[in-house]
Amino acid sequence: MQKNKSAGTLSLPVKALLLIIPFLAVFISLFFGRYHIPLSEVALSLIKPESVPLASRVAVLHLRLPRAIASAFVGASLAVSGAAFQSVFRNPLVNSGILGVSNGAGFGACVAIVFFGGGVFTYFFSFVFAVAAVLLSYFAGRISRVTTSITMILGGVIVGAFFSALVSIMKYVADPYSQLPSITFWFMGSFASINYSHLYALIPMGLGMLLIFLSRWKLNVLSMGEREAASLGLDVKKAQILIIGGATLCTAAAVCISGTIGWVGLVIPHIGRMLTGNSNQKLIPVSISLGAAFMVIMDLLSRTLTGSEIPIGILCALIGTPFFVYLLKKTKGGFKA
Amino acid sequence: MILNIDNLSFSYDKTPLLENLSLSADKGEIICLLGPNGSGKTTLLDCVLGFHRTFSGLVSVCGKDVLTLSRPELAKLVSYVPQVHAPTFPYTVREVVLMGRTAQSGLLGAPGKEDYEICDYAIARTGIENFSERPYTELSGGERKLVLLARALAQKAPLIVLDEPTSSLDFKNELLFLEMLSDLVRSDGISVLMATHALQHPLYFESEGIPSKAVMLCKGKPFRTGAPGELITPETLREVYGVRAEVTEIKAGGKTVKTVAVIGSDI
Repeated sequence: MQKNKSAGTLSLPVKALLLIIPFLAVFISLFFGRYHIPLSEVALSLIKPESVPLASRVAVLHLRLPRAIASAFVGASLAVSGAAFQSVFRNPLVNSGILGVSNGAGFGACVAIVFFGGGVFTYFFSFVFAVAAVLLSYFAGRISRVTTSITMILGGVIVGAFFSALVSIMKYVADPYSQLPSITFWFMGSFASINYSHLYALIPMGLGMLLIFLSRWKLNVLSMGEREAASLGLDVKKAQILIIGGATLCTAAAVCISGTIGWVGLVIPHIGRMLTGNSNQKLIPVSISLGAAFMVIMDLLSRTLTGSEIPIGILCALIGTPFFVYLLKKTKGGFKA
Repeated sequence: MILNIDNLSFSYDKTPLLENLSLSADKGEIICLLGPNGSGKTTLLDCVLGFHRTFSGLVSVCGKDVLTLSRPELAKLVSYVPQVHAPTFPYTVREVVLMGRTAQSGLLGAPGKEDYEICDYAIARTGIENFSERPYTELSGGERKLVLLARALAQKAPLIVLDEPTSSLDFKNELLFLEMLSDLVRSDGISVLMATHALQHPLYFESEGIPSKAVMLCKGKPFRTGAPGELITPETLREVYGVRAEVTEIKAGGKTVKTVAVIGSDI
């Protein structure tokens, strides 16, 4: 099987490493935070929680742990759907928000904040409008008889612009002292308010990731273009619906609990391409693992670097961009077309 | 009979492009589609490949009506080497050839051990082992065509459809590609349907002793078909292409090769 190395799956040690990295990141993130807890108490609260002071136990198990789990899922979701969209649309510059997910979710969040006082409504409305935006983009792209991935991207851009205009309207009518700041903070992205009740969002994220993971090899075929993919024996429309559906579940659920976090869905897949090549058979698991670990570490930094929390969307771009440039220089870019 | 086209008519708008076309290919036979630009060569290929579905008449492969087949079913009977291929991501050659195995796994599946073996076979058969681990985006035009041919072979279909396969190749690479194709037809019994602008192609296959047919399409005129040497004559070239040409026979290296000499475009 050695001969099949490049076309096959990842080797066992790499698989093990990819599996460990996100768990390691989550584990590490439990030890740090603004509320100082001795290392021994963090470790004990995982093994024998009843022997640890209540404040420490709550901080580790009810604040840091759910937050780390949520950020791992969000990072993995954004990265994997970015990678999937890049293949579906045959375009390396595409990211997880290409079909208007972020703008749709943003509008939903605005509606919830302005009319319903935010809270749980924010999650519900942002999820619903994120999915609605993707559906609109998909059908806008399919109106033209010649359905190419380009028309679908165009649909995404148009729908994105439409929802972005709606967001502006909502900002305009929002109360400038209470509602407008909430909207602004939502758009910067944050995991600050995450607790166990938010982890329902892991269900759509997990389901979406599973769909993309299972169809990861078909992504290679799909990226050859609709005509060639069909001649190779792929039911293109079904495959597209399956993958776009999976990516939508992922991103909509991710955005609705974290707000908009750009950048990850574009750059993590590219870091994956540089590290393991372009075959989605490897790229999809690598994106899941790297995306999860990256987001957990970024969230850890966002809550510990300064006295008050730095919105994670800002931090991702600030730290991620130079890191990406460094990798590009180091690997000479895994993407050459 | 591998391919059977019976009374096929197709039009994009009101004016018919293909009219009452009938054609068949046996196992181990090459059909070359000739004709000027816009005469319907690619359109005919698209009918066989199931991309055009609004034609009248019957197109069947191995006795099965192409319109009744699902994508995976059709891909097991007909493979395709496209004329232009716009690369996106730099997959390795092996990863590209492996895509020929798409039809074998369901919507969520991935290739298994047998698929990898067939992929290796297709790579060896087309002689591209040397660069099988390289990104196919870095290859030359000739090498890339061989990769696409290997991918088609990996489909293990009895019929290969090629759309102007040598249009971007240089003199030598064109010949190498034709030799490869001849060998596949002769030893593996594959049938070939190819559209081409080079009149030399059907004449070459004929001189190599491969069962071959040429089909000449011409918009607004009935199609003609026959043995390449009999079909490609000064008269048909004038009628179909509007070109003055002579067909001569050259004996060299123990072979008799017919060739077309162009005199001028004025009639």
